[in-house]
Amino acid sequence: MSFWEYLAGRHQQLLTDAGQHAGVVFPCMVVATVIGVLIGIVTYRTEWAGHLATLTTSTILTIPSLAMIGLLIPIVGPGVAPTVIALTLYGLLPIVRNSVVGLRGVDPALVDAARGIGMSRLMRLLRVELPLAWPPILTGIRVATPMLMGIAAIAAYASGPGLGNEIFRGLASPGSKNALNQVLAGTLGIVVLALVFDAAYVLVGRLTMPRGIRG
Amino acid sequence: MSTAEQQRRPEGEDEAEAEGLSRRDEVEELAFPDEAEAEQDAPSPWQPPPLRRPTWQRLTLLPAFLVALLLATCLWFRQADLDTVSENALSGGQVSRALWQHVKLTVISTFFVLVIAVPLGILLTRRAFRKATRVAMTIAGMGQATPAIGLLALLVIWLGTGTKAALTGMVVYAVLPVLAHTIAGLKAGDPTLLQAARGIGMSPFGVLARVELPLAVPLILAGVRTALVLDVGTATLATFGGGGGLGVLITTGITHRRMPVLVLGAILTIALALLVDWLASLAEVVLRPRGLEAGR
Repeated sequence: MSFWEYLAGRHQQLLTDAGQHAGVVFPCMVVATVIGVLIGIVTYRTEWAGHLATLTTSTILTIPSLAMIGLLIPIVGPGVAPTVIALTLYGLLPIVRNSVVGLRGVDPALVDAARGIGMSRLMRLLRVELPLAWPPILTGIRVATPMLMGIAAIAAYASGPGLGNEIFRGLASPGSKNALNQVLAGTLGIVVLALVFDAAYVLVGRLTMPRGIRG
Repeated sequence: MSTAEQQRRPEGEDEAEAEGLSRRDEVEELAFPDEAEAEQDAPSPWQPPPLRRPTWQRLTLLPAFLVALLLATCLWFRQADLDTVSENALSGGQVSRALWQHVKLTVISTFFVLVIAVPLGILLTRRAFRKATRVAMTIAGMGQATPAIGLLALLVIWLGTGTKAALTGMVVYAVLPVLAHTIAGLKAGDPTLLQAARGIGMSPFGVLARVELPLAVPLILAGVRTALVLDVGTATLATFGGGGGLGVLITTGITHRRMPVLVLGAILTIALALLVDWLASLAEVVLRPRGLEAGR
């Protein structure tokens, strides 16, 4: 059976898997972004706090994903729960680092001007600092998403959802005639998903970048 | 590119560095107008992961944490009751063998990654291959989207189960990020310094060996660290390709639902990963050329 025949015959299953894959990665990315930016906002003003936040999240990223998922299983059981927790944790580092760098990179004169026209602390943050820090944060999201896609594939071993199941099915019997098709479908599916997400982020970037700083 | 540049700077120096950067861009535009233009029209699709700058606090903190972690595991393990399945999975020196295999896989793959990626990176930044750099960076970007487990599975089907497939997968997976690091490191070199070196009559090889490479050492060392950390991680996947390693304990624990085996495997893997990262950051501090310290 050729690869195209396999795709044609199994497209229903593959689309479901791809949907689940995106469906687990995307919410985790959103949660990681929200938590990461919050951590960034809390820590960017003090040198040591920002340092501690980056240090902690980079230590998390050093941990191999299979080990992280393995450690989570005794606590929350197998399935979707360890996948979601692990993905959110791994997504944090690029977001935290880039929001700290982005918020610190905002020109103090601009913040001062905002204070001068009577903006409150919250207003300054929401209307001046965060919009200016948004491009690096979006870069962080773009770096994190393909990484999370790959980790989600590994999580399929612990009964997680998504295209990883296709890969592990092929890996379970490397000699069988469908093994190559299954692995190829799973792997290429993830690559395509990652590229689609990246294109979407570029679009989001175009739409959400403040007009004043568009290059 | 500017965000990636910013990420590489230590905190607090962003502004000064950003200024230096724009000045540098002007120089580049004057020197090689066509190249500067080419670099500006499309931002590179793949940006190397930002560097983690090692600090002395981290260098002392981590070993203490690791010792505490391993002691706690030891204590917990002594009182854990093991059934026969767990006993079988852990007895007869299997744990130390898995650990040793893991270390071996990591070291061997890192060696090959460096042997391939660093010379290739140097080659691709030479003037004759400027065009190829763009292609390489694009491929690196695509490679970044490829899941490690998928790559490994493909190689297992192609090469058959065994250490060879696992090692090949690990090397292929880590080559691209390290290559991107090396290229970024060599390209970040201040063009005025290169011109000065050429101006005093250094040969192209002399410029590379005595100016460009020493300046790129921090980035290359960071690439070594990236390779090591990536390889420790992908070495846990080697078990799916029949390559052994600590992943064996984790997968055994998951499939047989034996938590002691799973937790022991996971904690040993984590400890090893953190230790490797620590050693690499130590190397970064020790091996950084002295001349670069003064400016910072």
